[in-house]
Amino acid sequence: MATYLLRRLLQSILTLLVISMILFGLISSVPGGIMSAYQENPDFTAEDLARLEAKYGLNDPVPVRYLKWLGNTLQGDFGNSFISKRPALEEIGDRLPNTMLLMGVMLIVTLLIAIPLGIISAIKQYTWFDHITTTLAFAGQSLPVFWFGLLLIIIFSVTLKGADGKPLLPGSGMYTLGAPFSLIDRVEHLILPVTMLAFVSAAGYMRYLRSSMLDVINEDYVRTARAKGARERVVIFKHAMRNALIPLVTLIGLDLPSLFGGALFTETIFAWPGIGRLYFTAALKTDYPVVMAVLIIYSALIILSSLLVDVIYAILDPRIRLS
Amino acid sequence: MKQFKTLLALVLVAAFILSACGGGEAAPQAEPDTPAAETTDAPSEQAVDPNAPVTGGTVIVGTPQEPGTLNPLLASATIDDVISAFIIEGLVTVDGEGEYAPVLAEELPTVSEDGLVVTYKLKKDIKFSNGDAFTCADVQFTYEGIVSDLSGASTSGYSDIEKIECPDDFTAEVYFLDVYAPYLRLFSYIIPKGAGDLAALDTWEYNRAPIGTGPWMVAQWEAGDNITLVKNPNYREPGKPYLDSVIVKILPSRETGVQLLGTGEITVLWDLTEADLPTIDQLDGVAWSGATYGYGENELLVFNLGPADGSAPADPSVAPHPSLSDLRVRQAIQYGIDKQLIVDALLGGNVKVGTTVLPIGYWACPQPASEFNVEKANALLDEAGWIVGADGIREKDGVRLSLKISSTTGNQLREQTEQVLVEMMKEIGIELVIDNLPSDVLLAGWDSDGMRKKGRFDILLYTTGGGYDPDSHLFSNYHSARIPSADNEGAGNNFSRYINADVDALIDDAAFNADQDARREAYCQVAEQINKDVPRVFLYERMVISGYREQLQNFRVSPGYADMTLDSQNWWLQP
Repeated sequence: MATYLLRRLLQSILTLLVISMILFGLISSVPGGIMSAYQENPDFTAEDLARLEAKYGLNDPVPVRYLKWLGNTLQGDFGNSFISKRPALEEIGDRLPNTMLLMGVMLIVTLLIAIPLGIISAIKQYTWFDHITTTLAFAGQSLPVFWFGLLLIIIFSVTLKGADGKPLLPGSGMYTLGAPFSLIDRVEHLILPVTMLAFVSAAGYMRYLRSSMLDVINEDYVRTARAKGARERVVIFKHAMRNALIPLVTLIGLDLPSLFGGALFTETIFAWPGIGRLYFTAALKTDYPVVMAVLIIYSALIILSSLLVDVIYAILDPRIRLS
Repeated sequence: MKQFKTLLALVLVAAFILSACGGGEAAPQAEPDTPAAETTDAPSEQAVDPNAPVTGGTVIVGTPQEPGTLNPLLASATIDDVISAFIIEGLVTVDGEGEYAPVLAEELPTVSEDGLVVTYKLKKDIKFSNGDAFTCADVQFTYEGIVSDLSGASTSGYSDIEKIECPDDFTAEVYFLDVYAPYLRLFSYIIPKGAGDLAALDTWEYNRAPIGTGPWMVAQWEAGDNITLVKNPNYREPGKPYLDSVIVKILPSRETGVQLLGTGEITVLWDLTEADLPTIDQLDGVAWSGATYGYGENELLVFNLGPADGSAPADPSVAPHPSLSDLRVRQAIQYGIDKQLIVDALLGGNVKVGTTVLPIGYWACPQPASEFNVEKANALLDEAGWIVGADGIREKDGVRLSLKISSTTGNQLREQTEQVLVEMMKEIGIELVIDNLPSDVLLAGWDSDGMRKKGRFDILLYTTGGGYDPDSHLFSNYHSARIPSADNEGAGNNFSRYINADVDALIDDAAFNADQDARREAYCQVAEQINKDVPRVFLYERMVISGYREQLQNFRVSPGYADMTLDSQNWWLQP
C-alpha cells in the first residue's frame, strides 16, 4: 500500500508538471494580453510600455518566464494578478467560500434527488415511474446548461412576479444588495443556480445509480437473500443498496474538486462571485497568474481526489487490491 | 422626423435636468438644492416641494466589469477610472460639456510667458475622506507616484516635468523641461501623500479603498460581487451627497444588466452601446443618458494607402496600394456611403453622423458632413481608370476593385454596418468582402505580427478618436513618424500609412505651443486637411451611454473623465 501510494504520488507530481507546462505555453501564446490595454492608448509612451512590461515580467522569453513562475509557485507564491495587483491566492481565497457554498448545496441536493430516484426506478424497472424519471434524466443530461439557466431566469426572475410585484426569485448575486443579512434571502438566491446545477448533475447520478442497482439486483447474493425469505425491504436496503452505492463513491470523489473549481456557466449566468467566474474574467483579460493558479490548484485537486477515490474504494471493497 | 423627436426629447431632458438642479449653472445655487431632510424643522403640514431633493436611499449601479483597482496609478481599464471618479478628484477635469474645468484648483492653471511654468492655485479647506487637509504636497506626491518605477499610469506630460514647487500650501508651481502644450490634461486625479510607500505601490490598502476628496468612499468591496460606497463625511458641499450609499454591482453581462434595469433590481446600468438603445426604449420607467464618447470617438473606416502584404514600409510610396493609394478612389468610397442611412437604419437615429476627427469640447472643429452622391463616386472612379467589368465590378489593368473590410467578430452592429457598406459599394462597382477577426487578433501589437500594425488589410472598421487634448491622438494616428514600421519598432497607430508634410508640421508645432487658442487653430487645420485627404472615413460619432431608472434625479453622463459619476453628489431618488 505504501509503495503504491508513493508511486502514485510521484506520478501525480510529474503529471502536474506536464500540465503546468502545457497550460503556461498555451496561455502565453494567446494574442493580446495585459499590454494590449496600454498599447491602444496613445498617451502611453514607449518608456511607459517598457516599464510596464518589466513590471509584469513580460520582457523575458516564455521558457524563462515559465521557470520563474515554477520557482515561485513551488514556494507557494502564485504571483500577483495583473488586473488587481493582489496575490492570485488572495483573489481565489475571497471567492472560495462562495463557490463552496454553491457547490456544496448543489451536491447535497443532487444526492437527495438522485439516490431515491435512481433506486426506485431500478426496482420498478419498466414501469411508468421508471420511464418518466429516465426520460427526465436524459433530458437533464442533454440540456445545454447556459440555455437552461437563462430559461430559469426568464421564467422565475422576469415573467413570474411575487405578491409584492417584484420578481418571484432573484436571478443574480448571492444576496439582496443594501439589505441586512437574512437567511431566507440567502436561500432564495441559491434556488435558481442550485436548481440549474442539480438538475443536470442529478440526471447523471440517477442514471448511474439506476444501472448500478439493476446490476446488483440480478446478483446471486440478492437472489439468495430473497430465497432465504428475507423481506423485500431488507433485500433492497440491506443487501442491494449498500452494494449499489459503492460506485457512487467514485462519482462523488471525482466531483469533489468542483467544490473548488465552481461552475463556470452557472456562476457567470447568475452573477455568483465564485471561482468559476473569477477564472472566466481572468481568462478574458489574460490575467495569467490568476488563470494559472486556478488551473493548477484544480488539476492538483483532481489528481488528488482520484487517488483518494482509489484508496477509499479499496477500503470499501476488499476484493480490490492496490498493487 | 425620428431625429426631430430625439432632439426634442434631448431638449426636454436637458430642460428637466436644469430645472431639477435649481437653475443649474446659470442661476445661483438656490434653495431647491437644500435637501428636504434639512428642512424637517418646518411644520409638517406645509406642502413639500416635489422638486426638492430627498436625502437617503441607495442607488445600485450595475457594471458588466469589475474594477481591478481603484488606484489611478495602477488602473488598466476604463471601469477602474469610472468607479474611482466617485471617490477621487483632480485639479482639473473635463466637465459635462467637454470643456476643461477646475475642481481642486481655484481656476484653470496659468502658464508663464516661456510656457515652462504652470501655476495652480489650490482650493483651501478641502479635506480628504480620512480628515487630512489637501495641500500642494499632495500634488507633489501624485507626480512622484506617476513617474515611480511601479506606476501603471501614463507618464506622457509628467515625464517632461522637472520639479514641482510649493511656495505655500495652496500654490503649486509645475516646472517643465520643455513646453508641454497639453498641460491642462494633467493632474486629473490627486493621490494624498499619506496613501502609502511608492516602493510598495502594488500592496497599498489604498488600491481597494482610496482616500479622496470626492463625495464617496469605499465601505466594503466584496470581490467579484459588489463595491459599497458610503458618504465621505468630509465632503466639501454641506448636506451632500443626498444618497446614503451607492453600490456598484458587478454583473455577468450587459444583457443581464438590461434585464435587471427593467425589473428595477439595479438603478443605473453603465456602458450601454448605441445598439442597446431600442431595447432600453421599450423598458418601462427606464431612461438613458448619452454623451459624445469621451475621446471624441468616431466609428470609422481606415484605408490602407500602402501595401497590404505585411511588408509595412515607413514610406508607402515604395509599394502603394493598388486602388486605395489613389485619392479619387478614397473620395469615391466616401461619396458612395450614405452615413445618414446607417445612423437611421442601424442606430435608430440616436447618434450623429461622423464629420470630423475633433467633434467636441474646446477643440471642436466642426466640418460639413460628407456628401452622399453615387454619380460623383462613379465619375471619380471612371476618371481614376477603374472601368466597370462584365460582373459589374470595376477593373483596371486586369485587377478587380475588390477590397477586404475587417472588423472585430461578435459585434452585431459592426457586422450589420459592413453588410450595408457591401451593398452601397456594389452600387459604385466596388466589391467589398467581409473578413472579420477576433479583437485580440485585429488589435494585436507589432511583436505579435498584428495585422493593423503590419498593414495586412485593405479597410478596417473600428472606433477611435481625439482625446481631451488632441495632441497624442493626432500625432499617433496621422503623423508620418507614427507609421508602424521596422524603423520605429512598430510604434504608432498611423495604420493608413498616411503622409502629409503640412499635417506633420502643424502637429509638431502645436505640441510645443503653450498658446491654447493657437493650438486649436492648428489642430482644426489638421482636421480639415484630413477630410481633404480621406485616409479615414468617419461614419458616426460614438457615444458613452448609461441607462437609469427614471426615479433617479440629476443623473447625467458626461463626455469627460467623470462619465456616469458626474454630479453624483446631487443624485437623489424620487420616492
